[in-house]
Amino acid sequence: MVYGENRLTIPRVQVGRMIGLLEILQDFKGKVDLAKVAEELRLELDDILPAVDAAKLLRLLQVDKGDLILTDDGKMLLSNNASGRKRMLNKTLASLGEFKGIIDFIKSNHGGEITKDDLIGFLKENMPDVDAEQTFSWIVEWGRYSLLLRYDSGNEKIKITQKSSGSKE
Amino acid sequence: MTTQIEMPKLVELRNVTKAYGPLTQRPQVVLEHINFTVRQHEFVSIVGPSGCGKSTLLRIMIGLTKPEDGDVYYHDKKIGGICEAMSMVFQTFALFPWLNVIGNVELGLEGKPFSKEEKRKRVLDVIKVIGLEGYEEAYPRELSGGMKQRVGLARAMVSEPEILLMDEPFSALDPLTSTHLREEVLHLWADPTLPPEAVVMVTHNVEEAVYMADRIIVLTSRPGTIAKEFHIDLPRPRDTRSPELYKLVDEITGFIV
Repeated sequence: MVYGENRLTIPRVQVGRMIGLLEILQDFKGKVDLAKVAEELRLELDDILPAVDAAKLLRLLQVDKGDLILTDDGKMLLSNNASGRKRMLNKTLASLGEFKGIIDFIKSNHGGEITKDDLIGFLKENMPDVDAEQTFSWIVEWGRYSLLLRYDSGNEKIKITQKSSGSKE
Repeated sequence: MTTQIEMPKLVELRNVTKAYGPLTQRPQVVLEHINFTVRQHEFVSIVGPSGCGKSTLLRIMIGLTKPEDGDVYYHDKKIGGICEAMSMVFQTFALFPWLNVIGNVELGLEGKPFSKEEKRKRVLDVIKVIGLEGYEEAYPRELSGGMKQRVGLARAMVSEPEILLMDEPFSALDPLTSTHLREEVLHLWADPTLPPEAVVMVTHNVEEAVYMADRIIVLTSRPGTIAKEFHIDLPRPRDTRSPELYKLVDEITGFIV
């Protein structure tokens, strides 16, 4: 099992797919059998599991005997608007094992701005058994969504987002 | 909600007929005698079998395609060219791969009389509203389908259109992503401080239409004519799993197949 283990604490799914899953869960009043979701969406379990694992990792849902259950955090996320959701995930991700490690690494280098190659090197060194390129894309996806990181693929620079003044609702 | 007081007409199609091919011979008629009105605060969905001319209808509304017969009226005035008060979201996103998110969204302001600074401000504002904050520098190839469609939506919304046209906006997305984006669009629609004043969405997905729209126009297959209109009075937010919703889905599907 590649997903969902403690050592891999980077969500490996598109943000929108994970939130879509939570919304479907909410339609089912917050609790539903995983197989039922798959059947309803005409998806294979394998197509849903990365979203389940990401949501579990971010403590937005729990899995209990094949049932997916929306947590209070999950409900709160859904009740927020786009900015509120970003703020919530910003906090959660910044405290999440490996994601935090990566943020710290970027922060400690060149004033919070490194190249893609620097980060790939760091990933290869610290997570030798995962695909570093792919992991890099997930870090960018979630870093961008949560406003923790900015990445410019033009110059391949990745940096910590500077706190903007007064992010409005 | 059906009310006794009629809301003002925004756009009206009168007797619109669209045909392809030389008119001297027998032309291929795509749409025939289409009459309908879109009013303020209305979310209208056009459904019908594939090839019924649904997308052509949107193109005629915005002025990208001219009908062979009939006219489009905007605020009771006949319009000839492209209607600046409308903007469109496309099924396949239609983004420029060499422009980043900011550049693609800014295209929605092309030709508008704003200064460079004002344009940039509007672009950044809409990016925030649509949930694209953090992706400003990303290029389309780096984005998932859902994020690409958000860019399409932001580009359409940045000009603050009075009428938003959406052509199968969710059908290129996987089911999880489309669920999420539908919710987002309904959130935006529910916010009275945001444009547009009306939405016209083409879809082949009846369930999606019943879930989202106030009114559904069902087209017949070629030539497309209006088979029936349905008012959807279910309270919002709607329950995708309610028996009332399913009953309507069944009824409307019956008209199409």
